Amino acid sequence: MRRVAAALLAALFLVTPYLVTPARAERVVSLNLCTDQYLVLLAPEQVAGLTMLARDPSLSVVAAAAARLPVVRADAEAVLALRPDLVLAAPWGAQATLAALERQGVRVVRSTLPRDFPAIRAETARLAALLGEPARGAALLARMDARLTAVPAGTHTSALWLAPRGYTQGPRSLEAAALRAAGLASAGQGRQLGLEALLAHPPALLVVARAPRYPSLATDLLTHPALAALPRRTVPPALLACGGPWTARAVSLLARP
Amino acid sequence: MIAGLAMLLAVLLALGLLTGAAGFGVPDATILWQLRLPRTALAALVGAGLGLSGAVLQGALRNPLADPGLLGIGGCASLGAVAAFYWGISAAFAPALPLAGLAGAALGSAALLAMAGRAPAGPSLILAGVALSALAAALLAMALALAPNPFALAEITFWLMGGLADRSLLHLALAAPPIALGCALLLRLGGRLDALALGEEVAASLGAPAGRTLLLAAVGVALVVGAGTAVAGGIGFVGLVVPHLLRPALGERPGAILAPSLLAGAALLLAADLLARSLPLLLPLSAEPPLGVLTALLGAPFLVRIARRMAA
Repeated sequence: MRRVAAALLAALFLVTPYLVTPARAERVVSLNLCTDQYLVLLAPEQVAGLTMLARDPSLSVVAAAAARLPVVRADAEAVLALRPDLVLAAPWGAQATLAALERQGVRVVRSTLPRDFPAIRAETARLAALLGEPARGAALLARMDARLTAVPAGTHTSALWLAPRGYTQGPRSLEAAALRAAGLASAGQGRQLGLEALLAHPPALLVVARAPRYPSLATDLLTHPALAALPRRTVPPALLACGGPWTARAVSLLARP
Repeated sequence: MIAGLAMLLAVLLALGLLTGAAGFGVPDATILWQLRLPRTALAALVGAGLGLSGAVLQGALRNPLADPGLLGIGGCASLGAVAAFYWGISAAFAPALPLAGLAGAALGSAALLAMAGRAPAGPSLILAGVALSALAAALLAMALALAPNPFALAEITFWLMGGLADRSLLHLALAAPPIALGCALLLRLGGRLDALALGEEVAASLGAPAGRTLLLAAVGVALVVGAGTAVAGGIGFVGLVVPHLLRPALGERPGAILAPSLLAGAALLLAADLLARSLPLLLPLSAEPPLGVLTALLGAPFLVRIARRMAA
């Protein structure tokens, strides 16, 4: 992971001069929930379109701001109608749409979707430079680092992050990074665990992202009465749906005594 | 036969309480009461209802292919439950889940009787059922795609193929009363089904007109399948297979296979669920196979056998 972060930083230094020189993008469309949040936090004035998901407070930390900004579906025709000069997207999903946009000469940048704090620093700095707002990027990172350094010394309690549908989070996930930053030991192995297997070897602490507004079988599982006896800590799911400077808020919540 | 089936069921119920991801044997109290008990009881209840529904439908419609899943009643029940669940109605008022499943199943049965018209025994009924089943599956996929939760479509497997993993005592409490009521109603139809087997005119002269028998069967099946599907998803093939398994031993008289179908349905679904629980213990599987996969694997060869016997 450290090597990946180092490579990302090196890549950042290599590409930064090229990113800064072209004229600042004035009309930016984001086709992914994670790039939506970076875009709204770094350059709300440049938003030409976000995904619908950005307006959902259970998924997005910028839901209130996104409610007043335009949204667009991941559809080449709909995106072209907005005449964007930059499209932000994920490395996966809607690839046919992105290819069609690139054929029309639209600049498409795929975010790396960071899974730990060094990668969040690198991605925030890269997107801030790309959007011509390096000062805002630095301010976001300064606030994130202030939160992370305020975390008291860890207890290394064994904590299991239980995701919807009974999945546990593996050691390289964003959730495990948040647990480690909060001074806890992540017990998850990234497998789908039934409740019975979980209760056969119960963790000292159960961490769940608070169920979103809408019911589903996947999130119903987290409120099963068989789990009621385990110590539990809940975190708003929007803080971890995507890795970003906002993820430090989840660390503060997890680290509270 | 009844005594043998009851003993088999008792053994499977005991195995159900002793088997799970935590290993074979008596687990701690939370696992036993909060996880294994609701799961085992639901498998028995839902299976009993499906087996009995299949036997009653095959008798009432005088068609060996009649089954709540194949005829689309199960699909309509899933559709009703999906609407209540993903739009948050059942989160505010828990009994809305079985009630909506019930309403879906009732609408499906009514549509089926209307579509089949005046010849319920003919192939037109199976055609209508296949049409209804396809329609229900399409509307189900659309309902999940349009649900407020962006991840709802990922749960289509449960609503199409069923599952009993990690169900709670609440699910058991919600499903048990309608299923018990429906089974009680269906079990009393034996005499009417026997009369109907002699022809509609004979049945009418014996005081059991076909229309009323069909209506009672539809109400009972809607109660059983509606409530069962709302908590366990769309489990297929149990209702189709069970009566065919029993006929070689018990004969063709529809009234004679009702109670045995109830017991055998419970035993079959319990056995399929035990297999679903045991496979991850025996093989390096990352998750349990969906219950509907196992019942279909079991049921599909029987469909082939029925088809070959009909062709002969």
